[in-house]
Amino acid sequence: MPAPSGRRAASTANPYLVCAAAWAVPGGGHLWLGRYQKGLTLLVVLPLMFAFGLWIQGRIFPFQFSDLLVGLAAIADLGIGVPYVLAKLAGAGAGNVIAITYEYGNTYVIVAGLLNMLAVLDAFDIAVGRK
Amino acid sequence: MDTSHLGLLLIFSAFVSIAFAVLMRDEPREQVLFGAKLFGTFVGSAVLLGWLLYPLPL
Repeated sequence: MPAPSGRRAASTANPYLVCAAAWAVPGGGHLWLGRYQKGLTLLVVLPLMFAFGLWIQGRIFPFQFSDLLVGLAAIADLGIGVPYVLAKLAGAGAGNVIAITYEYGNTYVIVAGLLNMLAVLDAFDIAVGRK
Repeated sequence: MDTSHLGLLLIFSAFVSIAFAVLMRDEPREQVLFGAKLFGTFVGSAVLLGWLLYPLPL
C-alpha cells in the first residue's frame, strides 16, 4: 500500500550508506535500491562522460584553494567517485592547456562529477521515501 | 574524432540530457520525451546565442 500524500515507503537500506555507494559508483545507489534502469543508465553515462572529458585532454584539477575556482573544480571532479581514483592511479587528467579541446574536456569532467552528486541526492531521496 | 565546437556541444548535450531525464522522470517514455526536449533546448539555445553574439567584435 502506498504511503500517504504521494510519498513512497522508505527503503530499509541506510540512506547514508546508499549515498556512499551512489558517490563511489555512479548509479550504485539506484541499483542498490532496485531502480535498475536508472542505475544502469547512470553507470554507463556518467563514467563515459568523465572518461571522454579526459580523452579530449581535460584536466583533473588539484585541491588548490589559493585559486578558489580551481579548488571548487577539484571538488566537482571528485564527485564522480571511483572513476576519479582510477584516473588518478592511471596518471590521467594532466590536461593539455594548449589543446583546442582543453576547456571542453574540463567542462565534461566537472559536469560529470556534479551530475553524480545530483544522482547521490536523488538516491538519498529514494532511500528516505521522498520519491 | 570530431573536435568541432558543434560536435562537442552535441555530445555534451546528449550526456547531460540523458542524465537529467533519468533522474527527473520515472517512466521510460517520459524520460525519452523529457530528454529530447532538454537536448533540443540545449542545442537550440546555444546556436541562437551563437548567432546573437556573432556581430559582436572579439
